[in-house]
Amino acid sequence: MNENNKQVILEAVNLTKKYDDGVLALDNLNFAIYENEIFAMLGGNGAGKTTTINIFLNLLEPTSGDAKVCGVSSHIEPLVVKKNLAYVSENVMLYPNFTALQNLDFFSQLGGQDSLTKDHYQEVLIRVGLAEQVHNNKLKGFSKGMRQKCGIAIAILKDTKAILFDEPTSGLDPKAGYEFIQLLNDLKGEGKAVLMSTHDIFRAKEAADTIAIMNDGKFLMKEKASTLFDKDLESLYMQYMAGHAPQPASEGV
Amino acid sequence: MLKTLVEKEIREIIGSPKFTYTFIVCLVLILLSFYSGAVSYKDNVTHWEAAKAENLQSFEGIKEWYRVQENRIFLPPQPLATLVSGVSNDIGRTSNIEPSGEVTADDSRYNEEPAYAYFRFIDLEFIFLVVLALFAIMLGYDAICGEKEKGTLKLCLSNAIPRTKFLMGKFIGAFSVLSISLIISIGLGCLLLPLLGVHLSSEEWIRLGLIVVAGLLYFGLFLAMSVMVSSFTQRTATSFLILLIIWISSTLILPRVAVMVSGRAVDVPTVDELGYQKAMYATEQWKSFLNSLDNYTPIENEDMEEVMANFNKFMDSISIAREERMNIYRSRLNEQRYNKELERSQIAFALARISPSSSLSLASSTLAGTSPELKDQFYQQAKNYQTSLKEFLNEKTGMNMGGGFIMTISESDAPEKDPIDPTEIPQFKFEPESLSKSVQKALPDFGLLILFNCIFIAGAFVSFNRYDAR
Amino acid sequence: MLHTLIQKELKSITVSNKFLVTFMICSLLLIMSVLIGINEYKQAMTQYETVHQMADERIQQVSSWHSVSYREHRKPSPLMIFTSGLSYDIGRWSDINRESTVKLKNSIYSDDPIFAVFRIIDFTFIVQIIFSLLAILFTFNAVNGEKESGTLRLIFSNAVPRTKYILAKCIGTWLGLLIPILIPILLSVLIVMLFQIEFSSQEWIRLVLLIFISVLYTSIFIVFGVFMSTMSRSSNVSFLLSLVFWICFVLILPRGGVMASGNIVSVPRIAEVEGMKVSFAKNKWENYYKDMDKRLSGSEHNDDSEEDGISDDMMWANLKAEDSLRKEVTREIEGYEESLLEDWKNKQKAQQNLGFMLARFSPAATYQLAAMSLSNTDISLKSSYEQVMKDYREEFNSYIDKKSENAGPGAGSIMITMDSDKGMDLKMGRDEAIDVSDRPQFVHPKTQLSKILPDVIVNISILLFMIFGLLTGAYFSFMRFDLR
Repeated sequence: MNENNKQVILEAVNLTKKYDDGVLALDNLNFAIYENEIFAMLGGNGAGKTTTINIFLNLLEPTSGDAKVCGVSSHIEPLVVKKNLAYVSENVMLYPNFTALQNLDFFSQLGGQDSLTKDHYQEVLIRVGLAEQVHNNKLKGFSKGMRQKCGIAIAILKDTKAILFDEPTSGLDPKAGYEFIQLLNDLKGEGKAVLMSTHDIFRAKEAADTIAIMNDGKFLMKEKASTLFDKDLESLYMQYMAGHAPQPASEGV
Repeated sequence: MLKTLVEKEIREIIGSPKFTYTFIVCLVLILLSFYSGAVSYKDNVTHWEAAKAENLQSFEGIKEWYRVQENRIFLPPQPLATLVSGVSNDIGRTSNIEPSGEVTADDSRYNEEPAYAYFRFIDLEFIFLVVLALFAIMLGYDAICGEKEKGTLKLCLSNAIPRTKFLMGKFIGAFSVLSISLIISIGLGCLLLPLLGVHLSSEEWIRLGLIVVAGLLYFGLFLAMSVMVSSFTQRTATSFLILLIIWISSTLILPRVAVMVSGRAVDVPTVDELGYQKAMYATEQWKSFLNSLDNYTPIENEDMEEVMANFNKFMDSISIAREERMNIYRSRLNEQRYNKELERSQIAFALARISPSSSLSLASSTLAGTSPELKDQFYQQAKNYQTSLKEFLNEKTGMNMGGGFIMTISESDAPEKDPIDPTEIPQFKFEPESLSKSVQKALPDFGLLILFNCIFIAGAFVSFNRYDAR
Repeated sequence: MLHTLIQKELKSITVSNKFLVTFMICSLLLIMSVLIGINEYKQAMTQYETVHQMADERIQQVSSWHSVSYREHRKPSPLMIFTSGLSYDIGRWSDINRESTVKLKNSIYSDDPIFAVFRIIDFTFIVQIIFSLLAILFTFNAVNGEKESGTLRLIFSNAVPRTKYILAKCIGTWLGLLIPILIPILLSVLIVMLFQIEFSSQEWIRLVLLIFISVLYTSIFIVFGVFMSTMSRSSNVSFLLSLVFWICFVLILPRGGVMASGNIVSVPRIAEVEGMKVSFAKNKWENYYKDMDKRLSGSEHNDDSEEDGISDDMMWANLKAEDSLRKEVTREIEGYEESLLEDWKNKQKAQQNLGFMLARFSPAATYQLAAMSLSNTDISLKSSYEQVMKDYREEFNSYIDKKSENAGPGAGSIMITMDSDKGMDLKMGRDEAIDVSDRPQFVHPKTQLSKILPDVIVNISILLFMIFGLLTGAYFSFMRFDLR
C-alpha cells in the first residue's frame, strides 16, 4: 500500500457498477491515489467518471468492489468516509438566498468544522480569489466562476484528506482556469489527495500527477504525468477513444 | 450538526420571498377572520338580544296567564361559532315553544339571508383548511427535490451527515418557523378579540387553543406530506402537481363526496314525510277527540262554577290522553329518524375521515360547538324547556295548558286584573356541551391527525433514505 | 407565422403530462359531480312527489272548512344538477292557510346538517375552483418558462413580432386547454341525457349559456396566468403571485364582499321582525278579547228580557259576526306584517345588491352569480316562490271562505252553550267529508329566461371585460419583457 512511503487515500478496488437498466457504468476499476497526488480521469460523456465520484460519495452503491477512503469502504461506512472527503461539483450550486459567507458557514459546520470564524471564511475566500466586496452578497448574483470559487473554499475549509472535483474547469475563463490549477497545486502541497474528472486534456496534463483515460467504465490508459510530459495527450486520447491503443511510446527522444 | 441544519433551514425559509408572501397573506387572512368573526359575533349578540327583548315585550299588557300560549326561544350566538362556523348558520335558531306539541326550530341564517349562503363565511376553519394547507404545500413541495434541482443536495450529502438527520433538520426547521409565524398571527388575532369587545371564558380559550392545536397538526401533516412527496419526486414541478391534486381531493372533493355518497346510502325519512305522518295521526286523534266530546254530558248543577270545573276536568282528561298518544307517536317517529340519522352520519363521517381535512373540520367544529350535533342539543334543550314552560303555565293557570279548550268565565264587573309579569316566564338558557365531552368527542380526530402526521413523516424518512441524490 | 406559433403552443401543451393529468382530473370530477347531481335531483324529485301526494291525502282527510290547511312544496329544478346553488339552503315548503303567512321553511341543510358540514360538490363548484386553478397551472410559466428554458431567445432571434408571439401564446394555450375542459363538459351533458332527465327547451338554452360562461370564466384564468408569466422573470415568482391572487380572487374576495356589505348596510334579523309582528299581533288579540268580553257581557244584558228567545240562528249569526271580526283582526295583523316584511326585504335587497356588487370584483363571484341565476337556484328562487305562494294563498283562502259560506253556518265548528237554567250544552256542526278537489291549483313559478337575461348579460360582459383587461395587461407587460 505504499509508494515512496506515502499513504493511500483514495482507492478503487475492482469497482463495478451496473445500473438497473443493464448499463455497465464501471467495469472492474482499480486505482489508488496517494497523498500529495492529483489524479485526473479523462473521458467523454458517459465514460463513468461521475459514477465513480458518486460511489465515493455513497450516492450510489457499487454492484461489486469497493471505493475506499483511507481504507474505509464508502458503502459500508459512508459517514466515516464522508468525514474525509470534500466534494466540488461541476456546476457549484449553493443556496441562492444566502450570502457567500452564510453558505460557507453552513457548509463548514455541516463538514464538522464548527469553530471557524468569519475571518477564516474571508481568508479562504480571498485565497480562492473571491474579492472581499462580494463576500456579503447573495449567491443569486454570482457567476459560475464565482460559485466555483465558493465551492472550492468550502472544500478547503472542510480540511479533508481527499477532495473530489467533478469537471472543475468546465466553463471557466482562461484566467480562472489558471488560478484553479495554481490552487490545486497548493492543495497538493498540503498533502491532499485529489481526484478530478475532466474533459480538459490540457489542464489535466498541466495539473495531474496521474492521468487516466476512461471509456465505458474502464481505464484505457493510466499513466504518470511525468511519463507523458513529452507526448501529445490529445492525439493519444483520440487514439484510445478510436479503440486502438497506440504503439508503445518509443524510448528516448 | 442538527442545530446547523435547523438553523440553515430557518434562515433559508425566512429569507425567501415565498415565505414573506405567504406570511403576509396568512397574517392578513387570519386577522381578517378574527376581525370579521368578532364583528359578526357582536352583531349576532345584538340581534339576539333584540329578538329576546321583542319577545318579552310581546307579553306586555297581557293580563291572563292562559293567554301566554307560546314563548319564542333563541339559540344564543356562541363566540367560537364565528371562528368555526360549522353548521351554526344552517340550522334553525328560533323555536316557538308551545306547552305541548312538536318542538321545531326555524330561521336558519342561510335561509333568511341567502346572500351569505352564496359564498359562505371566511372563518378560521376555512383558513386552516384551505389556505394553510396550500401554504404548507408551497413551503414543503421543494424540500428535497428542490435542493436537488438547486444542486445543493449533493454537496450537503458529501458531508458526514446521516440522511435522517438531514431530513429531521428540514422538518424541525420548517415546522418551527411556520408554526411560530402561525402562532404569532393567531396570537395577534386573539388579542384582537378582547379589543373588539368579545370576551371569551377560560373554557372557551381552552377550546380555541385546542382548535389551534388541531390546525397546527393539520398544517404539520401537510408539511410532512409535502416533504414526503418531494422526497420521491425528482422534479419540483412534478412534486407540486401531485401535491396540488392531493390538496384538491382531500380538502375539496373527498369530504363532500364521502358524505354525499354514503349519506344517501342510509335511507333516512325526510322531515317532511314525518311531518305528514304526524299530521295525519293528529287529524285522527282530533276526530276521536271530538267523538269523545260528543259523549260528554254536562252535570246537572245550579252552580255555573262547578259545571265549568267539571267540564274543564273532563277536557283535561281527554286532552291529556290525546296529548300523550300524540307524544308517544311523535317521539317514536322522531327516534326512528334520529337513529337512522345517527347511523348515516357515522357511516358518512367515517368515510369522510379518509381525508384529514374532514378530521380537522369535525374536530374543530366539535370543539367550537358547531358540529351537526348542535341541532340535537338545541332540540333537546328546547324540549326540556317546553316541559318547564308547561309546568310553569299549569301552575300559573291551574289548568292543563296546551290541551284542548279552555273555558273561562269573564265577568264584566270583575275588577281589572293587573297585567302579568313576563319576566316570570322561565328563561331559556342554552347550555353548550361540556368541555370534557367535546374533547372526548374530538379525541379520535386528534388521534387521526397525529396518525397521519406519523405516517407521512415515516414515509418521508423511508423514501428519502432511498432517494437518488445524484 | 401566427399559425406556426399557435401550432407549436398546441403541440407543446397536448404532449405534456400536465395535459393528460388535467384531462383526467376534469373528466373524473365532472362526471362524478354530474352523477351526484343526478342522484340528488332524482332524490329530491321523488321526495317532492311523495310529500306532494301526502299533502293531497292530508287535505282530503280534513273534515272542517275551518281547519283546511295546505302545504305547498318547492319543486326541484333539473338544472340543480349543474348548479345546486341555494337549493339546499332555502326552505322547501310553506303552509298555505289563513293563520300563517307564507314563509319557506325547513331547508335541507337545516333538516340534515350533516350535508352542510362539507356542503355540495357540483359542476359550478368544480369549474369555479378546480378549472381556474388548473388554468393557472398551465399558464403561470407560459412566457418566463420559455425564457428559463432558453427557447425564448431562439424564437426572437427570428423575425417574430412580440405582438404575434403573445397573441399566439394566449390563443394557443386557450385552444389547448379547451380540449380537456370542453370534452368533459360535453361528456357530463351526455350523461344527463343518458339518464333521461327532462329538460325543457328553455333549460337547454340555459345549459348552453352556462357552459359558455364556464368557458369564459376559465379563459380569464388562462389569460391571467399568461399575464403573470410576463410580469416576472422567474417562473417561481410568477407561480407564487398567481397562487396568491387566485386565493384572493376565488376564495376571499367573494366572501369578503358579502361580509363587508353586511357591515355597511345593517338589516335586522328575521327573528326581530317576527318578534315585532308577534307583539303587534298579541296586542291586537288582547284588545279583541277585551272587546269580545265587553260585547258578550253587553249582549247578555240585552238578552235578559227574552231569555228563551235566543234561537240557534241568532247564536250562529253572532258567531259569524265574531268570525268576521276575527278575520278583520287577522287582516290587520297581516297588513302590518306585510309592511314590516316589505321593509325588511327592501333593506335586505339593498344589502345583497351591495354585497354582490362588491363581490363581482372577483371573477369567481361573477361566474357563480351568473351560473346560479341561469340555473334558477339563486336568491330569486326564494323570492319568486314566496311571491307565487302568497298569491296562491290569497286565492286559496278566498276559495275556503266561499266554501265555508256555502257549507252553511256552523260547519265544522263546535258550539258550547251555557245557560244557568239548562246547564251546559255542546253542539257540533260538522260536515263529514269535505270536497276540496276543486281547490285552486298551485302553479310553480317559472322565471322566464328573458327576465334574467339582462342580469346574465351584465355578468357576461363583466367576464369579457376582465378577459380584455388581462389581455391588454399581458400585452403591455410583454412589450416590456426582458428577453435576455
